[in-house]
Amino acid sequence: MTDQIREQMSALLDGELAPGELGLLVRRMERDAELRRAFGNYVLAGESMRAPGGITASPGFATRVSAALDDGEVVPNATPARAPRAAARFKRPLAGVAVAAGAALAAVLLVRPGTDGGSLMVQRAAPPAMAGVPMPGGASPTPAQTQRLVGFLVAHGQYASPIGRRNAWSNALAADPGINVVYEAAEKR
Amino acid sequence: MKTMANFPPSDGSTDGHEPRDGHERQASGVEQSDLELVRRVQRGERGAFDLLVLRYQHKVVKLVARLLRDPAEAEDVAQEAFVKAYRAINSFRGDSAFYTWLYRIAVNTARNTMASRQRRPLDYEADLNESEQSAVESRMRHGDTPEAAALSEEIHRTVNGAIEALPEDLRTAIILREVEGLSYEEIAEAMECPVGTVRSRIFRAREAIDRSLKPLLD
Repeated sequence: MTDQIREQMSALLDGELAPGELGLLVRRMERDAELRRAFGNYVLAGESMRAPGGITASPGFATRVSAALDDGEVVPNATPARAPRAAARFKRPLAGVAVAAGAALAAVLLVRPGTDGGSLMVQRAAPPAMAGVPMPGGASPTPAQTQRLVGFLVAHGQYASPIGRRNAWSNALAADPGINVVYEAAEKR
Repeated sequence: MKTMANFPPSDGSTDGHEPRDGHERQASGVEQSDLELVRRVQRGERGAFDLLVLRYQHKVVKLVARLLRDPAEAEDVAQEAFVKAYRAINSFRGDSAFYTWLYRIAVNTARNTMASRQRRPLDYEADLNESEQSAVESRMRHGDTPEAAALSEEIHRTVNGAIEALPEDLRTAIILREVEGLSYEEIAEAMECPVGTVRSRIFRAREAIDRSLKPLLD
């Protein structure tokens, strides 16, 4: 049995161990210092054959490294090094959504019915595309007005920031055929 | 038949990862094996990391000793490199071979050590005079102390003696593997025997060498 395990160890060193044999072998070697000692000598023999007389680690080196990991309670970093980059990928569209949501909120506040100031602000803030849109005080925006307003927001999102073009919300709105008509109309003006 | 007399020069210039005939095919098996061990470490099996340390301890110590002026520091810095590698193991994604990744950590650790002491790596010592260069190379070749040098020579003599005492089929198998870097399949083809026989012969050769080394190193 021991010979079989040690033969597996030898094959592991050469990269010739079947994957199915690895798990049990690693666990056995973890428990058995004699197996680890022999494995270390297999490695040392190869090094000595390839570079006789060269510098080698002293006999207790691997044990000292293992003890250092135990003594210092060293644990692998939980987060892979590239995780922040992955997080950044998600942050950019989220920022786009935040910008679009802010613009939508501002638009809703500006077109609140019954406030003259609101109407004035809309007229001041509106680009030429919105110049002819009636904003009667005291009345809710008609569906056509709402549609045109959303079209404006989409256009704004696409021109104001490249981030806006990538966010899912704007894309979903832009994908609506009715809104596209308004957007195209707004562009032509 | 290759004998020990045909082995690479004893200046430590080969480390088992430099190009040799058949090396690429050998490396792929070892790299795959390393990757499987790394995946196990990433899943929390500390024992798998110990095996990686055992496998690469000599190469890393040798590399660090080459970079530092004082080989006596090599093991401390190599140990630090292994600890750093363990900490960062979850960032290893298998884009490169494990030993390439580990070597990069070892080189950076050695450079940090040198920077903290305002010293330069041996590789850049073009301005060293001849006698200084010779002294440094001599220390690196033979170890930092007479005891280490003596042990290194004794290990080599013991391994050589054990190999010379092997039956020819075992000797051929272990040399084709360790020195020529052939895969088991290639050795089987060269020796006209099954792969399982090659595996067994290499194992028995290593066992014989281990029996010789054990009294020396215990």
